[in-house]
Amino acid sequence: MAEKLLVADSLDKVYGTGEGATHALRGVSFELNEGEFAAIVGQSGSGKSTLLNMVGLLDTPTAGEVRFRGRNAEALPRPELARMRNELIGFVFQFHYLLPEFSVFENVAMPAFIGGTLAPGEIQARAEEALALLGLEGLEGKNANQLSGGQKQRVAIARALMNRPALLLADEPTGNLDTVNTDLVYDLFRKISAETGTAFMIVTHDRGVAQRTDRILEVTDGRLVQDIRNDYARAT
Amino acid sequence: MSRMLSLRIAWRFLRSAPVQSLLIISGIAVGIAVQIFVGSLITSLQGSLVDQTIGSAPQVTFQALTDGDPVRYSPKMQDVIANDPRVKRGSVSPVRFATSLYTNGTDSASLSLIGGELRELDGIYNVSKRVTDGTASLRATDILVGKDFAAKFKLTPGDSIALTLQGGSRATFTVAGIFDLGSAAFNERQAFVNGDVPRSLLGWSADQYSAVQVQLVKPFESAQVATDWRRKVPGVEVVEWQAQNADLLVALQSQGSSSYIIQTFVLVAIALGIASTLAIAAVQKTRQIGILKAMGLSDGRAGRIFLWQAIILGGVGSTAGVALAYFLLFGFSFSGASFSIQPKLSFVLLSAGVGIGVALASSIFPTRRTSKLDPIEVIQNG
Repeated sequence: MAEKLLVADSLDKVYGTGEGATHALRGVSFELNEGEFAAIVGQSGSGKSTLLNMVGLLDTPTAGEVRFRGRNAEALPRPELARMRNELIGFVFQFHYLLPEFSVFENVAMPAFIGGTLAPGEIQARAEEALALLGLEGLEGKNANQLSGGQKQRVAIARALMNRPALLLADEPTGNLDTVNTDLVYDLFRKISAETGTAFMIVTHDRGVAQRTDRILEVTDGRLVQDIRNDYARAT
Repeated sequence: MSRMLSLRIAWRFLRSAPVQSLLIISGIAVGIAVQIFVGSLITSLQGSLVDQTIGSAPQVTFQALTDGDPVRYSPKMQDVIANDPRVKRGSVSPVRFATSLYTNGTDSASLSLIGGELRELDGIYNVSKRVTDGTASLRATDILVGKDFAAKFKLTPGDSIALTLQGGSRATFTVAGIFDLGSAAFNERQAFVNGDVPRSLLGWSADQYSAVQVQLVKPFESAQVATDWRRKVPGVEVVEWQAQNADLLVALQSQGSSSYIIQTFVLVAIALGIASTLAIAAVQKTRQIGILKAMGLSDGRAGRIFLWQAIILGGVGSTAGVALAYFLLFGFSFSGASFSIQPKLSFVLLSAGVGIGVALASSIFPTRRTSKLDPIEVIQNG
């Protein structure tokens, strides 16, 4: 039986107060197992990014709780949350968010630099491995600003993999890519998931993309309206 | 890179905006240079003024309670002076004063005589080194006259002059040398003679003097020294230069106060400059800080980025400021001013330290802002 990686229990998120209050999430509950490959789908403004930020320990729910490997995020102090984000979670944002002051290698290695537990040789080896996995060999010394959109997104993915996280969260990771690059990225995610056992949660509004995951969580108006196992994807 | 990550990120952020970094470093450098230059200028100017005023004059003087009476240079007094470490070595001179009148047939002038041993007089007046013509000698009939007096009466070394001394007796002296003590009044009205001249004139014993003059290592300790000596040597009057030069002291204090005000405003300007630059930098780098925090950078390490920036900016700026200050001081040496600026190393180091300190204080706002930044603010707002 697969082990639970995280549990989202009755998550509510309200922005503002009184009549102007906006409910971004309403009673969302689900569980994600270790190594699971899931998509969160929904229209723009449906609350899927809010949900992703919450399970990524970046945001806190107004009500309900997120338990990551059994630990209630609400009860953890900020330094511990920061440590968990560094060690257990990798993020791929829609706008890649690379650090323009640093080289490609430094961007990829940054999570390990922040973690501070790996030896320099180990960091070097892991960063090179991640770069090779994403076909970025030879770009190590380049500045992040010198890359194409597709290359930047791949660097962001390599960075997310650097600390070998238990969960990789990707928010519209192919939103700015063409069809060919979109396919490449998803194939890559699949490959990484299979090879490393990393769980994936991918936010997308593209149903075609979501169909290629094992599980689809659909969010509408802040509610989880569907949670379906996608046997088609597993079969193919 | 894991080690000192905050420092390395700070350095990289600074390098990514070289013009901005250079401008603020220049601002700090100019501020610290002005601080050092103005501070040293005022200090040296005050030192020069004090030196001109009292450098060749007694700073503490023992004299009789009644004007005109002799003061006894007693073993007790000698002991008190000799055992006080505040007294400048070799700067104790018991002297006798007498008045005289010089007439050359058509013109006349009063001349105050200061009688003493040349070696001891040198300790107060530095006479020997200030003789500009002739020789510094005070044998029995020698007299050293000031350059203004000599010019007025066209005297040269070797000339004989007859003086009418107080009481009406006359004595003839040989001009051994002509001095310039830097004061026209002194040069015109004072002269040095052998100590026995006034003694025999006044009929005093060997240990009786008009005054015992002393210079101190630190002239501004004169008030305390005088207070101590009044207690230790009763029955005599102890006067000190500060009590007699109140106007000068007020001027010096005013000058000092204005210097402090200038320096304070310079520091405030530096602080505002650094604070605004770091605040802008913190806003400019909000996205990067948010991403780093999303990747697990702790609040403390994120905050230290701007603390390090302040240390780097303050350190480099202050160092450049010290260099610039010495360059300005070097330039000032060609200005033709009557005094030279001698910057004190302690003041220079203090100024540089203050520069770094101000930079650190200026980083409080961006450091706190960065420390408190929630990564979700950046992620949500793109």
